[in-house]
Amino acid sequence: MSFQITDIPRILPELMLLLLGLLVLGSDVLTRWGRGPEAQLERAREAGQLTAVGLGLVFIVGLVQSRFLFTVPDPSGGPLDVLLTLGRNLQAGGPGGSPLLSAFATDEFTMVARLTFIGAAFLTSLLAMGYRLTANPGEFYGLLIFSTLGMSIMAAATEFILAYLALELSSISLYVLAGYFRESERSPEAGLKYFLFGSLSSAIFLYGISLVYGFVASENQKAGGAPIVATLFSEVGRFATGDAASSPLLILGMLFIIAGLGYKISVVPFHTWAPDVYQGAPPPVTAFLSTASKAAGFLLLYRLLTTAFPGVVGTPRLEEFNGWTSVLAILALVTVIVGNLAALPQTNARRLLAYSSIGHAGFLLLAVLIWSSTSPVDRTFGTAALMYYLIVYTLTNLGSFGVLAVLTNALGSDDLNAMQGLWRRNMLLTLMMTILILSLAGIPPLAGFWAKFFVFMAGYQAGAVPLVTIAIIMTVVSLYYYLRFLKAMWILPAPETTPFKTPPVANAAIIVSTALVVLLGLLPNLIWGTISSAASVAAR
Amino acid sequence: MNLIDLPASVPWLSLIWLSLVIPTVIIALMKPEQKEEIRIVGAAFSFISLALTLLVYLAYDYRSPEKFQFLEEIPWLPELGINYILGVDGISLPMLLLNGIVIFTGALISWNIEDRAREYWALLLLLAAGVYGVFVSLDLFLLFIFYELAVLPMYLLIGIWGSTRKEYGAMKLTLYLMGGSAFIILGMVAVYFSGTLRTFDMRLLAQSALFTRDVQIIFFVPLFLGFAVLAGMFPFHTWSPTGHVAAPTAVSMLHAGVLMKLGAYGCLRVAMWIFPEGANYWLLPIAIATLINAVYGATIAMTQRDFKFMIGYSSVSHMGLTLMGLAAANTIGLTGAVLQMFAHGVMTALFFAVVGRMVYDRTHTRQFPELGGLFAVMPFAAIVFIIAGLSSMGMPGLAGFWAEFNIFMGMWQRFPLIAVLAGISIPITAGYILIAVYRVFFGEMKNPEFRHLPGLTVQEYVAGVILVAVLIISGIYPAYLTEPIEASVQPIAEALARAGTLGMR
Repeated sequence: MSFQITDIPRILPELMLLLLGLLVLGSDVLTRWGRGPEAQLERAREAGQLTAVGLGLVFIVGLVQSRFLFTVPDPSGGPLDVLLTLGRNLQAGGPGGSPLLSAFATDEFTMVARLTFIGAAFLTSLLAMGYRLTANPGEFYGLLIFSTLGMSIMAAATEFILAYLALELSSISLYVLAGYFRESERSPEAGLKYFLFGSLSSAIFLYGISLVYGFVASENQKAGGAPIVATLFSEVGRFATGDAASSPLLILGMLFIIAGLGYKISVVPFHTWAPDVYQGAPPPVTAFLSTASKAAGFLLLYRLLTTAFPGVVGTPRLEEFNGWTSVLAILALVTVIVGNLAALPQTNARRLLAYSSIGHAGFLLLAVLIWSSTSPVDRTFGTAALMYYLIVYTLTNLGSFGVLAVLTNALGSDDLNAMQGLWRRNMLLTLMMTILILSLAGIPPLAGFWAKFFVFMAGYQAGAVPLVTIAIIMTVVSLYYYLRFLKAMWILPAPETTPFKTPPVANAAIIVSTALVVLLGLLPNLIWGTISSAASVAAR
Repeated sequence: MNLIDLPASVPWLSLIWLSLVIPTVIIALMKPEQKEEIRIVGAAFSFISLALTLLVYLAYDYRSPEKFQFLEEIPWLPELGINYILGVDGISLPMLLLNGIVIFTGALISWNIEDRAREYWALLLLLAAGVYGVFVSLDLFLLFIFYELAVLPMYLLIGIWGSTRKEYGAMKLTLYLMGGSAFIILGMVAVYFSGTLRTFDMRLLAQSALFTRDVQIIFFVPLFLGFAVLAGMFPFHTWSPTGHVAAPTAVSMLHAGVLMKLGAYGCLRVAMWIFPEGANYWLLPIAIATLINAVYGATIAMTQRDFKFMIGYSSVSHMGLTLMGLAAANTIGLTGAVLQMFAHGVMTALFFAVVGRMVYDRTHTRQFPELGGLFAVMPFAAIVFIIAGLSSMGMPGLAGFWAEFNIFMGMWQRFPLIAVLAGISIPITAGYILIAVYRVFFGEMKNPEFRHLPGLTVQEYVAGVILVAVLIISGIYPAYLTEPIEASVQPIAEALARAGTLGMR
């Protein structure tokens, strides 16, 4: 179980992220920069370009390594042999194998998650380049990369301490990023709020871990077993079965863990930080925060609950409490209701989308509920639904927050009123925002519709029919506030009609996410097959 | 019997719906100033789509035992049993033809849209493409996707180009219809998991003995109600008059003419076809609701001061009769229902064309007390309106007669009392139509400026003539509609009858 030198390719993307982060930070520190605004701009551009190119490279490496697209053939003596050998060595570290040191899984699940986070970070860096950045761009982009690294490890972790460290790595970077605009009124507030909430939550998470650890270690001692690493998910899973599974220590620990992660995925009642932070943080950071960070939380929660607590699954019925699916069912219920209803009266676009993203967290929880079924087919479906939803949600929200970032930059405001008559001022942006908003609302044939439909199917199959019914009704409620975007952009008279331009890099990021939302809507099987195979591994 | 043969290698049904998506893309790429070119592209492609539906109609062989023809099957997400399956039968064909007629005439009627013409035409054609898609889909999932595609452009079409509380009307309509969709989604998920097959192929789902009686009875309700909201069933009809009044003319035509039929079509094709036992269980409540629809809708229409509101409520009343035909659940009733969808679609399109375009766009008022004596200025509008009105009263020789005759016959066999009570709606309909004709076209002219109203345009004449011609032809020779319809509803009616005997046990 020790770490081999041949294991390095398996964590190559993470290592590359680490190096890239240091490189971005270092190059910014070590270069001598002038003082004028010109030089500032140049400095920001350089850091941004380095980040974007680097993340793009890591993404490609991760994609090749995952074997999702193709398997590199054997070298055949041609001129491309060097490349082929390189590719084969890379793919040797592809999905499969037992977790590194039992703590770091490199299965398909990790690969999908990794690609999602790196892709999101790449698009975020493009958005950030299109946004005015004030001071210390090296730190900004460096923290973005470190946060991505933390997320990748979160999704791969199969051990509590590693999971905790990864969570902290991603969160602490994000606290700083959220408060990055020190001069503005709202950004420091957002950073501080996020920090207070986040650190409290990690304390709760850590406390939960210690309880679970205590349970596992004492059970092992009772059984007279050899010394074990009691923080491994699999060890917890081994002991948390049968009668022992009803131990109050274990249940309390599990509840604390769910509560601690609840802030990361911003489910009600751990959501109160989200609207303020989403509204106050620099817009590109909001885009990243609401997507990749949330997805990482979900994937960690999912892997943790399914591998450490398979003996405490229970049933997702609202009337009795008998396991984590019942907890999640209750959370899902209050989250869809509160998130969607609270979004109705909002007038600030970013705040509105913050509540909508809370509502989405509720829909996402539906997919996890299916674990209460024992059939592997169902579990695979639920996992695939979760991953599909997360990918689509990441793309859609990145795009729509990206549009809001562009608007904040160009109009100086992100109120819904400021968007009035947008079609006259920037047709392409309006069109893309319309598509993204409709996808968030779950209108076919866009990807958001499939995502919602899949999680409804999963929830129904899990037996949570009343919950699914309420969630479906809430999609209608959500339509009301999504239509307010359309109303503002298309219908209401424009107070101002001067056209404005979208920065080309930001435009590229928004176009990519919109195009993928449309493409995945028309051809969902482009990624469904890959995701299903990843899910079937995870569901075993 | 088919009159012409079409090469089987061509995907005719895909072509039909694509023939309206292509111009949407073309128009979106044109410059906003090229208004005339945009109109010509839009009208030309809607004519092409009409021609394609006509070809398919003529080539359909309703005598063949194979009811679904022009089948196309492409795997889409086969792991989950979601496929792209198209096919038409005698129920969907008249609906296709109806949509072709209404979108083409609607395109002609839209000639005077000047404000943001490019977006208007793109959305209008997209909407009609979605409608075509619903009528040709045999996969429930695909049908739903097209259904939503047909509903959503409505929000912008009404919100931007509408009149009279347009934002309220648009929001109300969209939320009601999406509320309906929410029910449909629930029903779809239930259909997928309750049966023994994991598929959305409706031909397979409609096989008997796939669902238990309890499942059918429970999940028939969301599936039927979801579609019935769009069909304007009482008590979920209130969005419809507000929406119709707020909408621009061509959108009202499409909406009352075709979109509400999507609802009735869905009730029949999805809810009743897949869950015959469930349908059988709920027939009486449905019949009562549709009775209220028909009589109450007509009564409210009688009391309206606004010309367009009157037509809006008359739509509610007539859609009530359509659903009543469905509630009869026998061959004759179902035939009448489908026929009524067609007849009412054409007739109401004509109504809205007259009210919205010919009258309102010229006089800028729709209030009865302010109108009057318009026969002298626009005799053509008056005549076509009277013909449509006669059809809606059920005058023999026009399309509406055959439809209502069949519906009442069917209902008489099922629930005679309801048939008798629903008969009240006929004199009331005659009443409000005649009153409207008198107040708008005859009587004294209240506003002397009406003498100098601009004359009708060529496009308006053509649209009016086409719609009237269809009404008259269908009235004189209804067999071209009834024979394919009857052949296709018969299996459904038989399944319903079988379910009835099962329920007795």
